[in-house]
Amino acid sequence: MPLFDYARASTIDEAIALLNDPRWVSRPLAGGTDLLVQVRHTKPNFQRLVDVSRIPAMRSVAREEGEIRIGAAVTYTELVESPLLCEHAACLVEAARLVGGPAIANTGTLGGNVGNGAACADGVPPLVCLDALAHVANSEGMRAVPVADLLLGPHQTALQPGDLITHFTFPLLPAGTRSVFLKIGRRNAQAIARLNVAVAGRLSADGRIEFVRVVPGSALPRLRRFTEVEDMLLGERPSTALFEAAGAAASRVMVAATGRRWSTDYKAIALQALVSRALRRVFRMQESNGTHAH
Amino acid sequence: MSHITQQPLTYVGKPARRVDALDKVTGRAKYIADYRVPGMLHARCLRSTVPHARIVRLDVTPALKVPGVHAAITSEDFVDHGLYGFPIKDKYMLAYQKVRYVGEPIAAVVADTPQAAQAGVQAIVCELELLPALFDARRALDPDAPQVGPDRADGQHPNLKGDHMIVCKGDAEAELAACPIVLDREYFTDWQEHAYIEPEGVLAIPTPEGGVVVYAPNQSPFINQGNLAMVLGLPKSLVRVIQPTVGGSFGGKDDIIYESSAQVAKLALLTGRPVRMVFSREESMVASYKRDAMHMRIRLGADRDGTLRACWFRGIIDSGAYASETPFTAWRASIHAMGCYRYQACDVDVHCVYTNNGYAGAFRGFGNPEVCFAVEQTVDELADLLGIDPIDLRLKNCLRLGDETVHGQKLTESVGLIECLTTARRISDWDRKRAEYGRQTSTEKRRGIGVAVMYHGMSLGAEGADSAGATISILPDYSVEITSGLTDYGTGSRTVFTLIAAEELGVRPERIHMQRPDTNTAIDSGPTVASRTTVVGGNAMRLAARNLRQTLDMAAANLLQCDPRQLIRDGEAYIGPDEEAVAWEKVVDHARRLGLILSAHGHWSAPKIAWDHHHGRGTPYMAYVYGAQIAEVEVDLRTGNVQVLHIWAVHDIGKVVFPQGAYGQLYGGIAQGLGYALTEQITYREGYLQQTNFESYLIPTSVDVPEITGVFVESAYSHGPYGAKNIAEPALVPTAPAIANAIAHATGRRVRELPINLERVLLGRDLQPPASTQPARAAFHIPVRSTPQTAPVART
Amino acid sequence: MRIEFILNGEAVAVEAPPDITLLDLLRDYLNLTGTKEGCAVGECGACAVIKDGRLVNSCMVLAPQAEGCEIVTIEGVHAADGGPNDLQQHFIEYGAVQCGICIPGMIMAGEALLRQNPHPTRAEIRLALAGNLCRCTGYQQIVDAIEATAKGRRAQP
Repeated sequence: MPLFDYARASTIDEAIALLNDPRWVSRPLAGGTDLLVQVRHTKPNFQRLVDVSRIPAMRSVAREEGEIRIGAAVTYTELVESPLLCEHAACLVEAARLVGGPAIANTGTLGGNVGNGAACADGVPPLVCLDALAHVANSEGMRAVPVADLLLGPHQTALQPGDLITHFTFPLLPAGTRSVFLKIGRRNAQAIARLNVAVAGRLSADGRIEFVRVVPGSALPRLRRFTEVEDMLLGERPSTALFEAAGAAASRVMVAATGRRWSTDYKAIALQALVSRALRRVFRMQESNGTHAH
Repeated sequence: MSHITQQPLTYVGKPARRVDALDKVTGRAKYIADYRVPGMLHARCLRSTVPHARIVRLDVTPALKVPGVHAAITSEDFVDHGLYGFPIKDKYMLAYQKVRYVGEPIAAVVADTPQAAQAGVQAIVCELELLPALFDARRALDPDAPQVGPDRADGQHPNLKGDHMIVCKGDAEAELAACPIVLDREYFTDWQEHAYIEPEGVLAIPTPEGGVVVYAPNQSPFINQGNLAMVLGLPKSLVRVIQPTVGGSFGGKDDIIYESSAQVAKLALLTGRPVRMVFSREESMVASYKRDAMHMRIRLGADRDGTLRACWFRGIIDSGAYASETPFTAWRASIHAMGCYRYQACDVDVHCVYTNNGYAGAFRGFGNPEVCFAVEQTVDELADLLGIDPIDLRLKNCLRLGDETVHGQKLTESVGLIECLTTARRISDWDRKRAEYGRQTSTEKRRGIGVAVMYHGMSLGAEGADSAGATISILPDYSVEITSGLTDYGTGSRTVFTLIAAEELGVRPERIHMQRPDTNTAIDSGPTVASRTTVVGGNAMRLAARNLRQTLDMAAANLLQCDPRQLIRDGEAYIGPDEEAVAWEKVVDHARRLGLILSAHGHWSAPKIAWDHHHGRGTPYMAYVYGAQIAEVEVDLRTGNVQVLHIWAVHDIGKVVFPQGAYGQLYGGIAQGLGYALTEQITYREGYLQQTNFESYLIPTSVDVPEITGVFVESAYSHGPYGAKNIAEPALVPTAPAIANAIAHATGRRVRELPINLERVLLGRDLQPPASTQPARAAFHIPVRSTPQTAPVART
Repeated sequence: MRIEFILNGEAVAVEAPPDITLLDLLRDYLNLTGTKEGCAVGECGACAVIKDGRLVNSCMVLAPQAEGCEIVTIEGVHAADGGPNDLQQHFIEYGAVQCGICIPGMIMAGEALLRQNPHPTRAEIRLALAGNLCRCTGYQQIVDAIEATAKGRRAQP
C-alpha cells in the first residue's frame, strides 16, 4: 500500500483543481528536496502529491513592466543562470549559488524553499530584501502576499491547504542599487545556514545612503527587514564605524526579539560581523586593512 | 634486461592501476546492497531506544504472526547468548538481560521485505526497566557511579575497561619539579564517525550440509568466522566468510559487522533461505561504533633553551557501553602520548571506561590522533612561550637514528623524521609565512601556519601475534592466482599484493588475479588492522612468490640447460647462456612436464618484540613511521570560520610500493583529519546521538579539503618488503593538531577541544541547545532501507 | 503506476508504486545497482544520475517525476565499444578510486560538469563535486582525473 499517490499538473489551473479535489488531502511537489526527507522520518500528512515542477508558467524568469517575475518551480541553478537575476537580484543569485552541491541546486526550487518555511532557508532573506510578493493561487483565485507575511515562524506559513505559490514578483530596484547575500555555515557546501543576511542599498548623488534594506536570516523566529537598522543608515555617509554600529544594532534587535538563547553568545557577535560586512560590500567599501584576498 | 640476482624493481614503486578500479568506475562492482539472490529474505533489528535498562520482558512470538515474517531471534538463540568480544568478551550478538546504549540490537526479525520485517519488529513485546545511566567518563570510576560494565573479580571498578596502560621512564615528578618551564594543559577529543559511504550490510546463505556462507564487508573475515562458529555452535568448517567489495571501513567494519553476521546467519539457518540485512544511514550512525572520545591532561617540562625533559600524561577514554577493541586503543595511545621526542623522564597512564554513550571501537589512528592533538599543541605552545620557532623546537627534540625512545627502544634504522620536518618546512615556505603572518593586524581575517609531527608504531606491536600467510598458483591458462588473509576494503592492498607477486615472479601484473578474501581459500593472517597489510601481508606474498619463482627458475634452467644463476629475464621471458628468449608459458609447460607443482605459499612473522605492561617499558613496535604536516589556514576572527588553504604532508613510509595508492591514502587520511579537526561533531545527549545522517554529521566536501602537497621520504626498513613501511593510519594523525596550531598562530588563541567549530574559535567554548528546547530523543528515528523487490520490466 | 522514460538511451516502461524514489526504481525495479544509496536524504551524491542533462540525486526525485525524462546512469556511461570512456579511464589512471562506493556518483558529476563547461578550473571542478561525498580519497585525484579528461576532450578535433 503506497504511502501516497502522485498526480502531475501541466497547468496552474490543473494544479489548483488537483490540490482542491475534496477526495484527497493533497500537497504540491516541486523539487522535493525537503519533502522527500520529511516523509522519510514522519508519516505523511497528505494522501497525494501534486507535481507542479513541469508547469511552464512556474518555470520561467521574466521581466514584466517594472518588475521581475520568477516562477515558483524555478530551481537554484536556473536562478544562478538567469542573466536577468544576475543583473537585478544579485543577493538572490548569490544565495542560490551558496547551496553548494549541483545536484541539490538542480532540483530544489525557490517556491519550495519558501513554502517549506524553514527558518534557515537561504532563499527567503533575499526575497524579503527585494520586497517580493508571493503570488498564491487557490480555488477562489489569486492573492499576492509579501513573502515576509507568508512566514509565520519556523515551519509555519500562512499557506492553507489547496494553496499554491505560483510565482514571485518584485519591483526592479532603483538604478544603481546593489545587493549582496552572506552566509555562515559549518561547511563550505551543503551546509544549513547558521546565520545569513541579504542587504540592498544605494547611494545618492552626494554620497549619502538613500536606499537600504537589511534582512538577516536564522536570526528571528519570524523573518523580517530590520527597519531599525535601516533607519539609522538612511541619510548617512558610508563609513566603517557606521556599518559596525549598524551591525551592533542588528544584534541588539535580534537579542531584544529572541531574548538570550543558547546560541545568542555566538549569533550576537557573528550577526554584527555579517551585517557590517554586507553593508561594506553593498557600498563598495574595502574590508579593513591587513586582510588577504581570498 | 637485467641480471637475475640484482634486478632493479620493475613493478614495485612504479605507476600502476588499481586492480579493482575498472569494476568500480563502471558501476559493476557489487557491494552487499547490490546482491540479488533468489529467495532472499530481509532482516531487521529491534534496537534499544533507551541508554541503559534491564530487559524485563522480551517476547518475539507476536512478530511471527505478522504477514511475511518468517522468523525472529533473541540472545536465547545463540550459544552462551552470543557473548563475544576481543580483548574483553562483554557484548552479545543480541542484547542479553540489559541494554547499555541507544541503538543496541535486542532482537532480529526476518521477513519477505524490509517493511514486513519492520512490522515484525514493531510487534515484538519488549519491556525495558530503566537503569541509572552514566554519561560523563570523568565520573565513571567514582564509587557511586552507575555500574555499566560487567562485574569484575579483581576488585577493580566495574566501569574500568581492561587495565591502566602505562609508560614509565625515570621519575617524572622530580624531573618536572626541576624544569624551569612546565606547561599543564587539558585537552578533549570528540567521538568521530567513520562515515564510510557504504552503510553496513550482510548476506548469509545456508548450505546443504547445515552450514552457512556469509558475505560480509568486514575487515577480518577469519575473526568473523571464529565468532560465528562460536555463537552458532558450528565447526569452523561449516562457516565460510567471504568479503565482497567493501565501501569503506577505516576501522569501522569489524564488531558491528560480526554482530550483523551472527544475526543473519542464525536467521538463514532457521529459515533455510538466504537472508540479508542492510542498514540505512541513520541505523549505521546510531548502531555502529565510533572513534572514542578522550579527556587528556598533559604536563610538559622543558629547559629555557627548548630541550624537553619530562612528560606526564593522563588519558581517560570514553569508549561507551562496550569494550570492542578500545583497550588496545588505550595501549597505543599510551605508547604515543608523549609524541616523537626524547625525554629524561615520562609518566603516562591511559585507561578506558564504560559509559552509556554509544560505544567506541577501532578507527584509523587508534588512539594516536587523540594524543597527538594534545602533545603537538602543547609542544607548540611551549615554542611560543620560549620564543622558539615551532619547527626548530621540534628539530631540537625529535627522535633521530640511534636514539632510545622513552619506552627504552633503540632506533637502529629507518628514522626519517628530520627529513620529513625539514622538507615540509622548505616546500611550504614556512619561515617566510611564519614571519609574515605574525605581523598581521586585521581584525577581520588572519592567516596562520602550523605544524605537527607524528610517529606511529607499525602493525600490531605488543597487542598480539603478528604474522601472515599468502598463496600463489599458476592456473592452466597461465594466469596467476594469489590469496592473502589480509583484505582490501578500499585501501588498495589487492594492488600492492599484485605488484609484489609480479615483481618476484617477473610477470606482468595483468596476468595476476587476486581472489576475494575468503576463509575457504586464504590463510588466516590475523586482523586487517593497524596499517599492517603492506608490511606483514606483503612480506608473506613476497615469500610465496619467491618460492614459486624458485620452482620456475629451476624448470627454466633445466629447459635452457644452464645453472639457474645464469638465467636472465627479459620482460617475462627467460634467457639462457645461448641468448635465446624462451616465453614464460614455455617455462611453465616445462615445469609441468617435470612434475613440479606450480603453487606455493609464504608465511611471515614480524620480528619479536616485548612489552612489560607492569613497568611500562620495552619495545612496543618493530619500527615506526614518521611524518610532518603543515597546515595553512585563514581564520575569520568575527565568525569563527576556518578555511584550510593548503596542507603539506611529508611522511616517512619506507619504500613506496604502489605510489598512486599511497598518495590516495595520504590525501584521504588528511581529509578525515580535517573533518576531525573542524566539522565532525558527535553529540551524545543523555546517551542519544544527535547526528544521525550527513545533513548534521558534516564530513568535508570537495570545497572544504584544500589542495594537498604530499611527499614521501623513503627511509627503507630492512624487515619491510623492499624496505616498505606503511601509510594508512599515519596520514590522519597529525592533521588536526597542525590545523589547531595554524589557528593558534592566526588568532593567538588555543582551542583545546575538538572539533574546532565556529563557536570554539569565536568564543573559546562550544554551545549546545538545552534539553528543554530540544529533547534528546528528537533525532532518534531509524528509517528502513529502501524496498528491494523485483518487478517485471516492459521495454518498449 | 506506469512510468515511461528514456534510460541510457533506451525507452523503458515500468510499473511501480507512486511513492518510491527514482533511486529505488533504478535499483529495485530496473536492477541497475551501479547507482548507490549512501544517505537517502540528498547529502552524499552516491545516487547521482543525469536527468535531462542535469545532475540530480536520484534519492531526491520521486520515481513518477522521471516520466518522459532522459535519465543517464553509470551503466549508460561508456565508450563506443562498451569499455570505459575517457573519464572512467582517467579515474583509473589517476588513482581516483579507492573503496569505489562514491565513484559512480563522481563520474556522473564529472560528466555533467564537462557537458556544461568544457574548460573547468580546478576550483570549478571542486564546486561541481561539492554534493558528492567521498570518505577515502580526499578528492584530489578525482579532481586530477576530471581535469585531465577536460584537457583531453578539448584536444580532440
